[in-house]
Amino acid sequence: MRKLVNWFRRDKLETSFDRELQYHLERRVSDLERTGLAASEARRHAVLELGGLVQVREEVRDVWLTRWGRDLIYDLRFSLRSFYKTPSFTTTAVLSLMLGIGATTVLYSLVDQILLHALPAREPERLVLIDWKGDYVTTDGFGSWNLMSYPICRDLDRQKQFFEGVFCRALREISITTEGFAEPATAEVVSGNYFQVLGVGPSIGRVLTTEDDGVPNANPVVVLSYSFWKTKLGGASDVIGRKLLVNNHPMTVIGVAAQTFQGIDVGQVPVIWIAASMSEQVIPGFKDYLSRRTRWMQILGRLQPGMTLRQAESGLEPWFKTMLRDDMRLPDFPVITAERRHNFLNSSLVLTAAPQGHSELRRRLVEPLWVLFAVTGVLLGLACLNVSSLFLARGSAHEREIGTRLALGASRGRLGRQLLTDSLVIALAGGLLGTAAAPLAVRALIAFLPQGNAPNALHAGVDWRLLLFALGTSLAAGLLSGLAPGWQARRQSFSSCLRERGGTGSGGAHIRKAIVTVQIALTFTLVIGAALFTRTLETLMAKGPGFDTTSLVSFEIRPAQNGYSASDGNRLIRRLDELIRQSPITQASAVARFALLTGGSWNDPITILAGKRIATREEVNLNAVTPGFFATMGIKIVAGRNFDDRDVRSAGDPGYRSAIVNEALVKRYFGARNPIGALISMGNGPDAKPNIQIVGIMSNFSYRGLREESEQAYFPFLEGSDVGPTFYVRVRGAPETALHNLRAIVQSVDPTLPMIDFRTVNEQVNRSLNTEHILATLSSSFSALALLMSLVGLYGVMSFVVTRRTREIGIRLALGAQPRSAVWLILRDALVMIVSGIAIGLPLVWALGRLVESQLYDVKPSDPVVIAAAVLILGFAAMAAAWIPAWRASGVDPTEALRAE
Amino acid sequence: MNSRFPIPQGTLDMLILQIVSLESAHGYGIAQRLEQISRSVVQVNQGSLYPALHRLEQKGWLRSEWKQSETGREAKFYFLTAAGRKQLAAEKNSWERLAGAVRLIFNEGGR
Repeated sequence: MRKLVNWFRRDKLETSFDRELQYHLERRVSDLERTGLAASEARRHAVLELGGLVQVREEVRDVWLTRWGRDLIYDLRFSLRSFYKTPSFTTTAVLSLMLGIGATTVLYSLVDQILLHALPAREPERLVLIDWKGDYVTTDGFGSWNLMSYPICRDLDRQKQFFEGVFCRALREISITTEGFAEPATAEVVSGNYFQVLGVGPSIGRVLTTEDDGVPNANPVVVLSYSFWKTKLGGASDVIGRKLLVNNHPMTVIGVAAQTFQGIDVGQVPVIWIAASMSEQVIPGFKDYLSRRTRWMQILGRLQPGMTLRQAESGLEPWFKTMLRDDMRLPDFPVITAERRHNFLNSSLVLTAAPQGHSELRRRLVEPLWVLFAVTGVLLGLACLNVSSLFLARGSAHEREIGTRLALGASRGRLGRQLLTDSLVIALAGGLLGTAAAPLAVRALIAFLPQGNAPNALHAGVDWRLLLFALGTSLAAGLLSGLAPGWQARRQSFSSCLRERGGTGSGGAHIRKAIVTVQIALTFTLVIGAALFTRTLETLMAKGPGFDTTSLVSFEIRPAQNGYSASDGNRLIRRLDELIRQSPITQASAVARFALLTGGSWNDPITILAGKRIATREEVNLNAVTPGFFATMGIKIVAGRNFDDRDVRSAGDPGYRSAIVNEALVKRYFGARNPIGALISMGNGPDAKPNIQIVGIMSNFSYRGLREESEQAYFPFLEGSDVGPTFYVRVRGAPETALHNLRAIVQSVDPTLPMIDFRTVNEQVNRSLNTEHILATLSSSFSALALLMSLVGLYGVMSFVVTRRTREIGIRLALGAQPRSAVWLILRDALVMIVSGIAIGLPLVWALGRLVESQLYDVKPSDPVVIAAAVLILGFAAMAAAWIPAWRASGVDPTEALRAE
Repeated sequence: MNSRFPIPQGTLDMLILQIVSLESAHGYGIAQRLEQISRSVVQVNQGSLYPALHRLEQKGWLRSEWKQSETGREAKFYFLTAAGRKQLAAEKNSWERLAGAVRLIFNEGGR
């Protein structure tokens, strides 16, 4: 530490020591003169006594800084001076590493935030996700993944020998009214112990407790998120006790959660937390939160200290099996087949570590992010190789200088250290620039990510974790770039290098060629990756959703969340539908219960009665639409009839009578039989009574997303249901003006009703493909950069080869060789590198291809067209880069070349 | 002259601490004192004096101050710090134990 301080005050130390020495010498000289020595002799003697002034100074300096530190300063000074003198070298090297380190840091920022960062909870490493493996025997359910019911969560919470506590949670879309304005927002419905188990407290007021989650509907209280409190309520200190409307139900604010806490899903930050006992208000029409077979919440727990996942998992087993048997005896347990009963009883609980909470975004991005992170890693490797190559080139230009230094007694280690200092300085400069530019790129990327209804908790700032990563990466990059040049310097024999004539040293040409070959191999894999992802995106875009999206816009309303009863809500929908259809801007318009291309769907297994009874194992995607739907969307009815007035049922008449199924369903379950007139019903239990008649067959189109070719069954838009709905309108003119007109229509019916997710269907298509967009765009940009770097590397080494062989080429030309043969002489070298690079890259592609297969659509990593395209792109670009120096070789003037010696 | 033996490794520090413990001194003063010792007992290489002084100062056993010297000019004087005094005591102690032990072994051999 002291030595570090000394580093900064070394000038002061030097002058002080000079004075001290000065004093010593003067006293000694005058003393010696007194004994009769001549002045000059006295001085010589005094200096000799001290063992030489230079030596003693050096030794004292060593005391101040240690030798190592002092050498570092000299090395640094030397590095900076030499970089300053070669700006183009420095710029290329720093730029390469800036791109490499910058890209890696940007991706790491997202990897860290989305995949790695633990919740700001107490001891997050003890948090686990509890999931059901086996047949849950669901009677009803909604939500995303890892779902179970509320009562099972309460049961798990009682298993205190394994868990300190177990909580459950579900994210729900709500409408929240603070100052007269209703707006859509996201709430987290939680069990009362949520905050206690997580170990999260309030910033003001209090958080929810188990008392708030007791008697159903008895505790209309909410905890606000810190950011909602700050942005929407101005951070008012008197917010506690204030009332706001959640889905038109008054609720009292009891507190604001801790500032750092943003829920347990990094991709969706709720604005309020509400106890599950209030779920009837949060989810209009939902009365089953105490049903054991209704799956809608994720269950997470905190393990007891010292308890491992496996211990808890096996320890829970006996209790769980008893619970399964007890559950089956309950009166509300559905009637199921013997096979399903068997599967149910063989279910088990699976625990996974969940220090990062539970996130749909994470689930969706885990693969793409790791893939892209790996790509940036390769890019960084390429950048390091580039810098290595540059250093080698510089080293060969300085061969004589290095040789001279060696001859004068510099140690090889010392020279190696100088090289290492050089590369570290370059890497740190690149890292600094890369990190400085990173937030911009991170911000752009975050905007590009799949968006849920709630905002995400991602930020573009540079925190200490990111800085640490960038620093570590820079150091690693510096070491890596210095490796080959250092090795080369060690090998160099100074005698041979002094003997040789300038400019003709071996210059590490072999290493440089090897480096370029590796660069080409790595670039080849990246180019193929980019081609695969681009092909995937293009195929999906070209395929489209299976209906006509031009001039099609959609928006959602949620009457149930704005205080409408089911029947009032349906009157509202019908009125709106009529008004929109009559509007001059409308070509066609229809209503669907569930929106398309959002990633979700209404689904259920079905039972089909067509000669024989078929219960589907897989779920079928379901929807309910108004008669105009197929015409509006441009979906063909390929057989049977469309919905019409016969299918419209009045309020209070329950159940569907007719259905239109898609070709995929017919193909899978009907074979050659005629589906028209066959009966179906929802559910696949033995108690299912097929009574819905198939009246038509529609062409296939995408429901959840473009990748999926699912079986679908559509029902008439039934009155009495209170989900959704989403309006689909094919408009005349620009969709922007349409928004204005449509909003006016909605407001004319109910001025307070929010219009949600108004967008063109084309935009929705793009949104549903945004993982594919990210993969294609980023992998293409990264592989373009990689290509650029390899070309620079190749160009560099070929230029070097040409310079080195100038004499040889000159002689050949003088002896009558054609200039063309000189070009070929050089190009042959390049061709060997390109071909062997690709040959190394091919097996890499096959090995890595399997890792990305799940991200691809309709294309294989071994796709010959893709590989051929990559070979062509790479080969062409590489030959072009090699052509320039080769062409220069053909222009060699024999006399000049020979005289240059 | 030849009868003087070179100072054992590491004892120079102890000698310097001992000299300064009697009275604060500047580098040349310490050198003169060492010279006297050299003439009679052991040979001290003056070249190691200044590195040693700076090392001891760095370790916090000596502190220094610019003061007027006997000739009227400013010189850098070294003082023993409390830590230095402790260190000197410890070194003296261990030195004596070592010397005692060696003597014991020699006496045994002589018997």
